[in-house]
Amino acid sequence: MKLSMSPRVKRSILCWLLLLPLVVVILFPFGVMFVTALRPRDELFVFPPTWAFSRFVWTNITEMWEKVNFGTALLNSIYVSVSSTLLALLFGIPAAYALSRFRFPGKGLYRQFLLVTQMMSPIVLVLGLFRLMVVFGLVNSPNSLVFTYAAFNLAFTIWMLQSYFNTIPHELEEAAWIDGASAFVSITRIFLPLAVPAMVVTAIFTFINSWNEFVLALTMLRESDSYTLPVMVFAQVAGRYQIEWHHVMAATLMATVPVAVVFSWLQRYLIRGMALGAVK
Amino acid sequence: MRALLKSPALWMILPSFALTMFVIGYPILDLAWTSLQEVSRFGKLLGFAGTMNYGELVGDQLFIDSLVRTGIWTACVVTGAIVISLPVALILNEDFIGRGVARIIIMLPWSISLTMTAVVWRWALNGRAGLFNATFMNLGWMQEPVEWLATAQLGFTVEIMVGILVSIPFTTTIFLGGLSSMPQDVYEAAYVDGASRWQQFRHITLPLLKPFMNIAIVLNVIYVFNSFPIIWVMTEGGPANGTDILVTYLYKLAFRFGQLGKASAISLAMFFILFAFTLLYVWLVMRGEGETGADSDEPAPEEEGAPA
Repeated sequence: MKLSMSPRVKRSILCWLLLLPLVVVILFPFGVMFVTALRPRDELFVFPPTWAFSRFVWTNITEMWEKVNFGTALLNSIYVSVSSTLLALLFGIPAAYALSRFRFPGKGLYRQFLLVTQMMSPIVLVLGLFRLMVVFGLVNSPNSLVFTYAAFNLAFTIWMLQSYFNTIPHELEEAAWIDGASAFVSITRIFLPLAVPAMVVTAIFTFINSWNEFVLALTMLRESDSYTLPVMVFAQVAGRYQIEWHHVMAATLMATVPVAVVFSWLQRYLIRGMALGAVK
Repeated sequence: MRALLKSPALWMILPSFALTMFVIGYPILDLAWTSLQEVSRFGKLLGFAGTMNYGELVGDQLFIDSLVRTGIWTACVVTGAIVISLPVALILNEDFIGRGVARIIIMLPWSISLTMTAVVWRWALNGRAGLFNATFMNLGWMQEPVEWLATAQLGFTVEIMVGILVSIPFTTTIFLGGLSSMPQDVYEAAYVDGASRWQQFRHITLPLLKPFMNIAIVLNVIYVFNSFPIIWVMTEGGPANGTDILVTYLYKLAFRFGQLGKASAISLAMFFILFAFTLLYVWLVMRGEGETGADSDEPAPEEEGAPA
């Protein structure tokens, strides 16, 4: 047993050694966040700069929460991300179902249309979008982001859902029709429950995209009460003479770690989804 | 027409089509129209101006510099991401102890907003107290702390490095997708024939990976070309516009300098560049499907009814 394990162990050590530099560079920012967020304020600027500090100051986090209005930004981020994800699913599920189950004129064209919207980045359209939101009086309203995030995520949502829907055999719905169920009942009772896992995975990725978006939020949200987390963090460092770095790092730590944990748990689905849908 | 309206598929597609046309289609038309007008600081259209805005752009040295820098930025970040991601994907495709953990760590930067990453790096690279300097000085690689972001040249180089780092997860994912679709029997045949591992890589893996390589390049070019937060957060295009790329210059023109006509013109130019890349992508994907059509895992017959 031990002899047969040996090549695998050797290979593992080699693989980890080769990956080590990249792993260190990737984990470095997390170390920086952690070490800065919990360090006493008067040990931020010491010379020579050092990783070490005298004691953990957990109150940095509660202090930051009050001072930068973290709770409001957190609620705004949750509101915008949840609403835009639900909207993208609400519009994306029927479209994905149609693309997966029906033949209709213009189907290929619609797919290509989705592809073009997928390639469009918010930054290219940001001025046009801002003018649009001015017309509708939605500047400074988180709802401006709900609509735009939903639209920019629709192509991805439809793609992911369609690639999963294709794997659900349509014999199941046909059997329900034969048993006398209406199309609506067979879809809501038979098809959608089977598609729940796909919807959850897609929703979480749409959620993370919305959670992380920056340029539209920066443009549309003009007052600190409506800031989402990325804009709030940016506002702590942009154009300030004195930046409270321990608060900034505490804020980034609180904002990134939960998302990173969820993402780590789900990333294998993304690889599968990519292999199935997005790249093909 | 009546048959068309009766089709349930059309009604199922309509909401998504309407929303994307409203949020993505309309602003493009608005930008196209605005770019042909003389525009006041406050967005009021003052009258038709023909190609005046475009003419002003061509004569604007800052625009030309940003354009060149966008080329450098995109080329360097994409090349770096591909060169690092290919070996990383090959390693992650091996069977080794702790592979799951390694995959999670490599994918980690993907989950974090570019804004947050850039803020953390801005602090880490701080000239006085940044922990990047601390690490290098502790290791004895540097005697004096370096002001990484104070000069345009060094700042831009650092930004390219951060750009590469955040592009690695996505690129690696595409390569892993490609590697997982490789037929194992070919390798076994090559092994039986006595091919070395390098020969297997050179003559089997690399050619089979080529379509995925093309896709990774085109998609990365599109994403990096559009990437705004890293440069905006770390240097805001400064010092003295020395790290501006098209997107940051566009943002300054639109929301700081109030030159809305010029900003619209840049937006539209970028739209057409992106559109060209998208067509290239579609062409690559279609060609890839044509070549590997036989072992595609999507049900192909269903496709034939749809007019493209």
